[in-house]
Amino acid sequence: MLSALILVPLIGAAIVGFFPKAIAPTSSRNIALIFASLPFLLSIVLAAQFNPTNVTQQFSEFIPWITAIGLNYHLGVDGLSLPLLVLNGLLTCIAIYSSDEDIQRSRFYYSLVLILSAAVSGAFLAQDLLLFFLFYEIELIPLYLLIAIWGGQRRGYAATKFLIYTATSGILLLASFLGLVWLSGASSFALATLDSNALPLATQIVLLCGILLAFGIKIPLVPLHTWLPDAHVEASTPISVLLAGVLLKLGTYGLLRFGLGLLPQAWEVLAPVLAIWAVVSVLYGASCAIAQTDMKKMVAYSSIGHMGYILLAAAAATPLSILASVLQMVSHGLISALLFLLVGVVYKKTGSRDIETLRGLLNPERGLPLIGSLMVLGVMASAGIPGMVGFMAEFLVFRGSFPVFPTETILSMVGTGLTAVYFLLLINRVFFGRLSPQVIDLPRVYFRDRAPAVVLAVLIVIFGLQPNWLIRWSEPATTAMSAIPVVAQRSQLASHTPILKSNPVTFNSLQ
Amino acid sequence: MVSITNKPLNHPFATYITRIETGKTLLPDSSENVLDVVGILKSYGIVLDAYSKNLIYISENQFLVLFPFFKYFNGDISFQKLLRHWWHDRINFEYAEYCMKAMLWHGGGGLDSYLDSAEFKTRAAAAIQAKFKNNPFMLGLNQLFPDFLTEQVRVLSYYSALGQFWRVMSDMFIALSERYDKGEIKTIPQVVEHIKAGLVNAAALPITYSVELHGKVYDIVPKSIGLTFLADTAIPYVEAVFFRGTPFQGTVSYNAQAHQIPPDQARFAYGALYADPLPVGGAGIPPTLLMQDMRHFLPDYLHKLYQKRSRREEDDLRVQICISFQKSMFCVTNAAILGLMPYPIDTTVPEEQAVNRAFLVNWMDRFMTSRLQDVQVA
Repeated sequence: MLSALILVPLIGAAIVGFFPKAIAPTSSRNIALIFASLPFLLSIVLAAQFNPTNVTQQFSEFIPWITAIGLNYHLGVDGLSLPLLVLNGLLTCIAIYSSDEDIQRSRFYYSLVLILSAAVSGAFLAQDLLLFFLFYEIELIPLYLLIAIWGGQRRGYAATKFLIYTATSGILLLASFLGLVWLSGASSFALATLDSNALPLATQIVLLCGILLAFGIKIPLVPLHTWLPDAHVEASTPISVLLAGVLLKLGTYGLLRFGLGLLPQAWEVLAPVLAIWAVVSVLYGASCAIAQTDMKKMVAYSSIGHMGYILLAAAAATPLSILASVLQMVSHGLISALLFLLVGVVYKKTGSRDIETLRGLLNPERGLPLIGSLMVLGVMASAGIPGMVGFMAEFLVFRGSFPVFPTETILSMVGTGLTAVYFLLLINRVFFGRLSPQVIDLPRVYFRDRAPAVVLAVLIVIFGLQPNWLIRWSEPATTAMSAIPVVAQRSQLASHTPILKSNPVTFNSLQ
Repeated sequence: MVSITNKPLNHPFATYITRIETGKTLLPDSSENVLDVVGILKSYGIVLDAYSKNLIYISENQFLVLFPFFKYFNGDISFQKLLRHWWHDRINFEYAEYCMKAMLWHGGGGLDSYLDSAEFKTRAAAAIQAKFKNNPFMLGLNQLFPDFLTEQVRVLSYYSALGQFWRVMSDMFIALSERYDKGEIKTIPQVVEHIKAGLVNAAALPITYSVELHGKVYDIVPKSIGLTFLADTAIPYVEAVFFRGTPFQGTVSYNAQAHQIPPDQARFAYGALYADPLPVGGAGIPPTLLMQDMRHFLPDYLHKLYQKRSRREEDDLRVQICISFQKSMFCVTNAAILGLMPYPIDTTVPEEQAVNRAFLVNWMDRFMTSRLQDVQVA
């Protein structure tokens, strides 16, 4: 069943790409949409059949592959990967649906999007380090091409920069994985059998540093982030949606799965550094966002800031903070996808993303009133306004991390305040006031321009009001992650701080 | 047509002065402008008809009804109509009241003076006594606060006066549309001439207001006062609604502390000739209410023109209606200016020409911040 999540989009990619007759761009899109919808629906079926109380990998599939080097085709899903799988399915559908109807080389484009989706699903499902690495590398190629071919004016520069950074990430990751397996004396790359505890702490720290750098590029964390704003600015809207919504999550997922999961002792040693790194990312991302005049670049820097929260929560490694990191991944996936979609509509209709040029787009007749209203909702969610999923995620991050890293948590909370600052600047300049003369005669906004954003906005509100519908899939698994001895010890320390005199805080105990 | 002996001046709007002096119009003459103006005035005429009937109904049938829940129903109340009202499938009579309040507030003309006279107070007092003759509570309240009900009667007098004014204007605009349909109107000067003729013909129509209470008629504004259509309703209306208006919320945020609102009402410039059509569409603001009403009665030819003209098709209909409406209001103002000229526009007497020019300069000074320049290109 899990293989279908990878195979169906690949089959779709092959059909769209190699269809013997010429197909209109809209037909290519419709075929791609069908092959993207099937895995999405399948992931929902999986979620329905998933047993949240079982913290082991479920629906496992194992096929021996190249046993000589210890590589096996081993898939599984748990509470950490399930929400991200569903998110990947949803955002792939949205990205395809919101692609331009008359896009050039449409068959190639949709094939690449489907391959990208398959590779991301594969990475989330992989239970073998080498298999994860393969999927992690495979997704680089379609993404590179999607930016390089369908991007903006500086697409070549942005795509190459992206490739150099993420290929470096791949090399570091492979080196760390190989080191981990060889030094621990494991016979295969199977995730379940790896045990790093026998390794000297210094070795563990070195390995973890490799993993941190690898995923730090992918997330990205400051100062490894410079590829992201360029990639976002040059990528087309649907690709930005996928990039911010799903692909960055491979980094944070990898940190939790392989950093915290495989090297908990080293994680404990480096955790204070990670927390400081998170704060730097949060504050740097927010500060840079304030200075931007390009809406898309502002949202991109906002992403860098918000991904820092996940690192903070992961560094704290309390049951609540690990759960919060998963929630923040989903929350950021939905919110950043919404913001990029809306910026995309603004750009498509006005031909500009310049905050200093655009004005008054909330004009009810000649502006983009619904897009503007959704943007207000999106930025409120991003700034952590209660009632939306962003609030729940950030609240849990701070609540879970504060007992372990109080100073860092408070500094990160400043980042939330700064989010409100730059997004209010954006809203005030772009959407309020009298419509700018440059954009007085905008083309009509159609249902298909609005529909994907409406879907995301609804989800943001629903999960904001009912976060338990999201958290119930992950809480047992994230709690189990914190049961790793070293992490559990940290959690217990957290629970004995003067602020929290209760048992380790979990989401359900907060309710 | 007229030889101009005294060449205009350095006035920034000298072009428009020359245009009027030479028999042309403020709005450029083009077939599209004619279609725009006549089409919008047709729908405006239909809307004014509804407004007029409702204003007169309120003044006569809701006299001193202090909680007039059903004042917009013109006496025809049913559950179905109530549902339609709540669903907002209706005419926005609030716009008519907005105009009435603007007139009441800015005053001007004989009606305003009369409503402050002792005679009005006596007549209003008699009507109040009759209305509440079986209501000692209200009569007691009237004794305690004698200005309260009197002021309500003043407001109702304005309801009636505006209703009578719009009755004439509605018929005039519908007649214009019919003449256009017959092919008699082909140019903007003809449109202006039609309106001017209408205003002149109705100039001396008496403006009166009476209510029937318990079988007896009470004249609040009797004919003997001598109030007439042009001087006592048309001119104050143009002044209050076209020029001054009120700095309503919703379109632009005016900051009184920053002196964006002049302390002197006479210097207000928020009227229809100054309104920015772009913010139209915001919920509840007066221009939106009127454009929304006219939208229901757009002639097909105008609707098609809007769809052809705009990239947004139906999405910005109300802004387009407002742009057309503003053009038409410049035509009405143009007609009013011609009707009020001190001397005939084609006079050849230099002294009269000079007086006419001074009169026009005065108008142009007021147009300086209006949308006159914008309607030249729109």
